[in-house]
Order: sequence, then structure tokens, then C-alpha cells
Amino acid sequence: MASAANTNMNAVRETMDVLLEISRLLNTGLDMESLSICVRLCEQGINPEALSSVIKELRRASDTLKVSEFNSLSVSFIIMDQLGCFFL
Amino acid sequence: MATLDQKSPNVLLQSLCCRVTGKSEAEVAHLFQYAVRVIGSNYAPTIERDEFLVSEKIKKELLKQRREPDAALFSELHRKLQTQGVLKHRWSILYLLLSLCDDPRKPSSRVGNYGALFGQGLPRDSHSTPFYCTRPQSLPLSYPERSAAIQNASSMGTSGIGISDPILSFVDSVRGSRLAWALPMTTSLSGSAAPTSRLPPGPPAPVGRAPLRQRREGDSAEISEVALVRDILYVFQSIDGKFIKMSTPENCYKIDSKLPLCKSLRDMSSRLAELGWLHNKVRKYTDSRSLDRAFGLVGQSFCASLHQELKEYYRLLSVLHSQLQVEDDQGALDSALTLKRLLVWTYDPKVRLKTLAALVDFCQGRKGGELASAVHTYGKTGDPNMRALVQHILGLVSHPILNFLYRWIYDGELEDTYHEFFVASDPTVKTDRLWHDKYSLRKSMIPSFITMDQARKVLLIGKSINFLHQVCHDRTPPGKIMPPSKSADSPKDAAELFTDLEGAFQEKIDAAYFETSKYLLDVLNKNYLLLEHLQAMRRYLLLGQGDFIRHLMDLLKPELARPATTLYQHNLTGILETAVRATNAQFDCPEILKRLDVRLLEVSPGDTGWDVFSLDYHVEGPIATVFTRECMSHYLRVFNFLWRAKRMEYILTDIWKGQMCNAKLLKSMPELSGVLHQCHILASEMVHFIHQMQYYITFEVLECSWDELWNKVQQAQDLDHIIAAHEVFLDTVISRCLLDTNSRSLLNQLRAIFDQIIEFQSAQDTLYRSALEELQLRLQFEERKRQRQEEGEWGVTAEQEAEEKKRIQDFQDTIPKMRSQLRILSHFYQGIVQQFLVLLMTSLDESLQFLSFRLDFNEHYKAREPRLRVSLGATRGRRSSNI
Repeated sequence: MASAANTNMNAVRETMDVLLEISRLLNTGLDMESLSICVRLCEQGINPEALSSVIKELRRASDTLKVSEFNSLSVSFIIMDQLGCFFL
Repeated sequence: MATLDQKSPNVLLQSLCCRVTGKSEAEVAHLFQYAVRVIGSNYAPTIERDEFLVSEKIKKELLKQRREPDAALFSELHRKLQTQGVLKHRWSILYLLLSLCDDPRKPSSRVGNYGALFGQGLPRDSHSTPFYCTRPQSLPLSYPERSAAIQNASSMGTSGIGISDPILSFVDSVRGSRLAWALPMTTSLSGSAAPTSRLPPGPPAPVGRAPLRQRREGDSAEISEVALVRDILYVFQSIDGKFIKMSTPENCYKIDSKLPLCKSLRDMSSRLAELGWLHNKVRKYTDSRSLDRAFGLVGQSFCASLHQELKEYYRLLSVLHSQLQVEDDQGALDSALTLKRLLVWTYDPKVRLKTLAALVDFCQGRKGGELASAVHTYGKTGDPNMRALVQHILGLVSHPILNFLYRWIYDGELEDTYHEFFVASDPTVKTDRLWHDKYSLRKSMIPSFITMDQARKVLLIGKSINFLHQVCHDRTPPGKIMPPSKSADSPKDAAELFTDLEGAFQEKIDAAYFETSKYLLDVLNKNYLLLEHLQAMRRYLLLGQGDFIRHLMDLLKPELARPATTLYQHNLTGILETAVRATNAQFDCPEILKRLDVRLLEVSPGDTGWDVFSLDYHVEGPIATVFTRECMSHYLRVFNFLWRAKRMEYILTDIWKGQMCNAKLLKSMPELSGVLHQCHILASEMVHFIHQMQYYITFEVLECSWDELWNKVQQAQDLDHIIAAHEVFLDTVISRCLLDTNSRSLLNQLRAIFDQIIEFQSAQDTLYRSALEELQLRLQFEERKRQRQEEGEWGVTAEQEAEEKKRIQDFQDTIPKMRSQLRILSHFYQGIVQQFLVLLMTSLDESLQFLSFRLDFNEHYKAREPRLRVSLGATRGRRSSNI
């Protein structure tokens, strides 16, 4: 039992390594943890297209947030407001 | 760490958000919600789950980036992945990685998307819908690049515009794709900037914009193509645009020639404006027809089918409009909608609209069955698309007609308020003329896919059902007559019918026809004894029942010899009944006997009973359909004729009887022998003549025609056949009995001959009376003489003898008078007969010519009448030349 679990673990680890390699090749910008989360999501049947669009969106959002962090507070306030309206 | 434990997707998603953005959970709450929404709505992947394809794509990507060794490396890794077999959804992961792939070189997204656009092919038509009306999740797999294009485009927002913009544009694209026409609206959304996402530790160069936009900006004075496109979209709906207006005198859309517009644009817009013109035409027709209340069901279904087609057209227009709208909102500096693109996309709809407009033109002013014929004619074309379209419309249009038809042949009901069906019913006709007059064919409304024969059969079936219901009072539900079969319940059935018009439809009609007619004939024969009545007519009105007629004549003779004014109907009826009871007629069906009656014709002055007497047969109910009033009057005329001829026969029999009886008695008066001889000769001539006439009438006329009629009636398939056969029978009988208008002269001759016979009878009667009286007196004289001799006196005194001699002399003086009278009579008679023969000779009817031969078999008359000789030879010659 333990050996089976071990071999399982090894196989999993190997797979993840391969995937990380591929991801590095393709310059996806995913680190190991994000990649593992993504793998888990995909294995659970999430649509990869949707997922990729979410990730892209998140990245973009985080970038702009970073940019606006250097701006004044009022600007970020406006942006928050807009986002709020959007989600209404 | 890398254990694939089962955490819920939400949790995973949240941790992903935190990880990617590097923020805490609370701050990314909104992003997390947003992510959930996106994932939740795009549940199923829209592209094919082909791992091989994805790996190929990845390799291509790498090769594009000129990283061949990396591509080889990737192949290795992929193989390893495949052998490991831990992952279940390899495709998923690979696809994810591919889509997150970050190319240091800016891919010219525009071109790529163009490629995607044109790789999609033109929007396909199915039926007449240019695009599918589906949600993007369930978009068919043949449009793989669409959603990919959406995702790709949405990821590339512009950085400098602000957050709201990329999100809004993304939302817009999602909205747009929810509207289900994933046109190149995605391409319009692509700003061209590469994502300014977190740069991976790799190529550090910041990415900038790559505005590969093609601005179609000529001089500012010229009208831009976008404005033209907007105008054109209005024109497509037959609304005048800013530059392109409808010019009514020329009935076309024209661009104001004064506007600054380059020639190519002008040409293209004129070509596009044609679509608006066609739409206008079709629209005008449907609008005007919808106001017309008397247009009828067929017309309404035609308009409905046109509306359907127009709806598809409007869908296309709304797609184009929303495209334009989106571009406006976006403020995009260039547009994906160019005139050229419009030309290509509207090609198929244009062809369809052209067909519709031509159809509308052709069908102007028609309705009902005519409209269906027009549409059907239009379907005879070689172009399969046009044929399919017209067939579709034809199916819808003919559905009401087929409904009418099926109701008519299965229920006998006609509910046709707008006079569209080809069976017309005349409400003013009463039930006694139902069969003949009430229902007729409206020839203009017969659709061209129904033959005349079928139309007639349909008319007959419905007529029979109505006849059964109303005249025969037969309330069998139509389900029993015809086993219920599937009627055209839906337009689909109607359309199917056309694929097999010859077979299935014809079968249905034939089956209904046979069943209904058979049933009708059964009802008529069993319940109403049609055939029995036909035979009864023959027996009584056409003197078929010989013994009855003879007996009747015997009984009636004393009555009818009286003047006509003294006759009473009830007396005669009583005599009739006596005759019936005394002969074989009593065994006839009582139904028939009760219809037999005496009828007294109109009395003219000087008529004896013979001239006004007639038999009659009452008909009513369904039988009256076959024995109409005209038929009955024909029958009565023929009866009259036959009765007269019979009477002549009767008279001559009497004469002959008298002659036979008295010949012996009058042997003792030798001076009478000459006269008597003359009488005998004349009588036998007349007898021969009448004999031949009777033979002709009975055998050549009545029996032959009757046989034909009977055969036809036995084989008749419907009531119309019987009626037609009966009428033919009566016509033949009338024309052969010399009762029609052509033979008026012949008939007159015959009447003259009959009159002569009657005269002869009276002359002979007087002769016999006087002769017998004379004989009686002489016998008395002899008797007295003998008596006196017995008493011992002189037998006869001188003056007695002188008296006797004088009386005998007187008597003998009257003889020459009698003789001359008879001679005149016989001469007259022969003259008439010769004329009659001449007329017979020259008549066109063959049987009459044969009659003339028989009448003059020993050429007795021919010897006397030079005309006969000539005419005989002439006709013989003529006939031989005809052969």
C-alpha cells in the first residue's frame, strides 16, 4: 500500500515536473503552485478556455492595480467604483 | 504539494486568484466573483478535444518563434506525459498552457484574426437562415476559431485606456457572442496591444502597441465608407438613408449624384441597394395583402410564408446592425463592415429575395387555387435552391386547399367563405336538384397540380356524400363509408404529398371515390330499389308487360271510344286496377304497383278517349335524381307513341276478325265480292305495315337500347354513369321512335297512316253494317216467302217481289259508291305509305333504312312510285360509295 502510494506520488511528481517544463518552454508565466492549481481544476473538468481567460484577466487586473497603486488615491477610488457598477 | 487532492473548484479558484495577483483573499474578492461567473457561464468547451491538435499547435507556435530545439524538446516532454498516464485531461492542460503562451514577438493579431475570419468560410445558409441562432456554449464545432478568437481578442486589451475598457470590451464581446453571431465582431474588438501582463522572467522587452489597423480614410471631404455602410443598412430595410434614397419615378434606389463619392463605392452601393428594392417589393405585397380581408386562407398562408423568409432576412440585418453598433460604442477607428464584405454576405439572401420578389410579381391579384397554381408553375425551375424555396412555400400555400379537399371528400362539408376551393356550392338549389345543380367545379380555382380528372372525381365524392345525407337520409358517419385515413394535418404532410403526387394522392382520391360511389349505389339499390324501378318503367310505360297491356286495352276499349270530356279519372283507375289484378302484373312488388296510375292529358275539342289517355308512374326522392322531370316527359311521349301503334294493331286485329267472320256470311251476296276483295287487300297491306312497324319498334328500338342500358347500369361505378346511360337510352329511343325534331315529317306521315287506318276501319264498319243489314233483310224476305208458302199462299206477291227487287237494286247501286270510296281510301293510303318510304330511305338512321327495306320487301311500292326507284338507287349508290 505504501509503496503503491509512493509510486503514485513519484508518478505525480514526475508529471508535474514535465508540465512545469512545458509551461516554461511556452513562457506561460505560471509558477509551480499556480500550475498545480490549474492542473487540479482541469482534472475536475473545468473548461480550459474559460480558465485561461480568467487567468489572463487576473494578470491584467493585477498589473493595472500595480500601476494604479502609484497613482493617487482618488483614481483608485474611481476604478473601484467602476468595477462595482460593472458587477451590478 | 503537488498532490491532486480533491478540493472544491471554488476553493482552488480562490487560491489561484490570490496566487496570480499576489494579493490577499479579501482584496481579490471581486475578481474571484468575476472568475466564478466566467467559468460558470462558459461551461463546456467549444472546441474539439483533440490532444494531438493542441500539441501540433504548440509546436507550430514554437516554430513560429524560431525555436526549433524547443519544439523538439516539447515533443519529448509530451511523449513522456503520454506514457505517464497520470493525468486524465491532458488535452485540457495542454490547451490551457497554449492559451497562456506568451510570445515575446508581437503576433500580428489582426492578421491572425483575419485568417481566422476567412478560414471560417462564409456564413452558411441552412433553410434560409444565414446564421445559427445558438448560444456560444452550444455553438457547433465547425466554428472552432470563433470562441478562440473571442478569448484571444479579449485578452488583448489596451493598457493605456483604463481598466474599465478592457473589461467592458470583454463583456461586450461576451454579450455579442451571446447574441450568437460570432462574426468578426471579435476582430473589431482587438485592439492590437499585446497584453501587458506580468512579464515572465525572460525577454524583458516591454511590449507596445502594434496598431495594424487599416484606416480607410481618404480625404475628409469624401463620404466615409462607414457612413455609406450605415446608409446601406437602412436601405436594406427599405428606409431612405442619408445619401441613398428611393426615387419613385424610376422605382430604384439612387445615390445623390452630387455627393463626393468615389466610383467604386458608388457602384457597390447601387448593387447593394437592389436588396432594399427587392425587400420593398415583397414587403409592400405582404402589407397590402394583410389589410385585404377577402384574401382567403391560401393567400394568408402565402403571406405567412413570405413573412417567414423576411424574418430570416431581418435576422441578418440585425446582426449587421449590432456589429455597427458595437463598433460605434467602441469608438473603433476602423470598421469590419465594408461594402465589399456586405456584398459577399448578402449574396445568398439577395438570390432568395429575388425569387420571392419574382413570385410576388407573378402572384399579384390571384387568390385561392389560382395562387397555388402560380406558385407551382414557378417551382418548375432547374435551380435547386430556388426550387427548394418554392417547394417550401408551395407546401405551406397548398395546405389550406388540401384541408378543404380532405374535408370535402371525407365529410362532404364545404366551408369556403372566400371562394378559394374549386368546388362551388349553389345555396339556392333545393334538395331535389341537389345532384345535378348544386355542386359544380370552379375551373379557375383548380390548382395546376391537380388534374381535371381528379378534380371531377373529388366533386363526385363530395356530391355523393351530400346526396346520401340529404336526399337518401342516410346518416352513416363518413367513417364507416371510408375507413379513416390520415388527412393532411400539417404542412409537412402537404409538402410530402408533392413528392409523390401521382401515387399517394391519386390513390387516396381513387379509394375514396370507389368506396363512396359503391356505397351510394348500394343504398340506392337496396333502400330505394333503383333497378327495380327502371325495370318497372320498361314494363309499364314502355309496354313491356304484354299481357297486361292487352288486357288493359280490352277493358278500356268501350271507355275510350267515348268523347274525351266524358271520361272520369277514377273510372279509369278502377279499370287499371282490374287489369293489374287479372294479369301477371299482380305479382309485382307493391311498391311499384302503387306508383302506377292513369293520367288524362289535356283535352282538345273533338278528342276521343284514345287521344287523352296515358299511364303514369310516380317518382320521388332519390329516384327522382335519375328519373328527372324531363326524363318522365320523354317516357310519356314514348308511351303515347307506343300506345297508338298498339292501338292500330288492335284495330287491325278487329278488322281482320270481322273480315273472317263475315266472309262466310256474305258469300251469298256475290255483288259484294269485289268490294270485299278490295277490303281484304287493303286490310292485309295495312296489317303488313303495322306488323313491320311493331317489329321495328319492339326489337330494333326498345330491346336493343334496353339491353345496352341494362349492361351499363350493372357495370356502373357511380351515379353519374347511371344517369348518363339512362339519358342515352332515352335519347336513342326517342330518336328511333321518330319523336325528335328531326323526324317530324316522318312522324306526321306515320300519323297520317294511322288516321287512314282508322278511317278504313270506319268505312269497313259501315260497309259491313249495310251489307249485313241487307243480308238480314234478304234473309227475312226469304223466310217470309217460305213461311207463306207453308201457309199455302203465294210465296211472294208481284209487288212484294217488285219491292224486293227495287231494294236489292238500290243496294246494288250503293256498291259502286262503296267501291269507289274504298278505292280512294286505298289509293290515298298507298300514297302516304310511299311518301313515308321515301322519307325513310333518305333518313340518316340506319335502322330506319332497314325498316324501309322490310316494308317494301317485294318492291311492291317501288313499282308504283318512280321516286322510290330513283331514291333507292341513289341511296344504294351513295351507300356503296361510302363503303
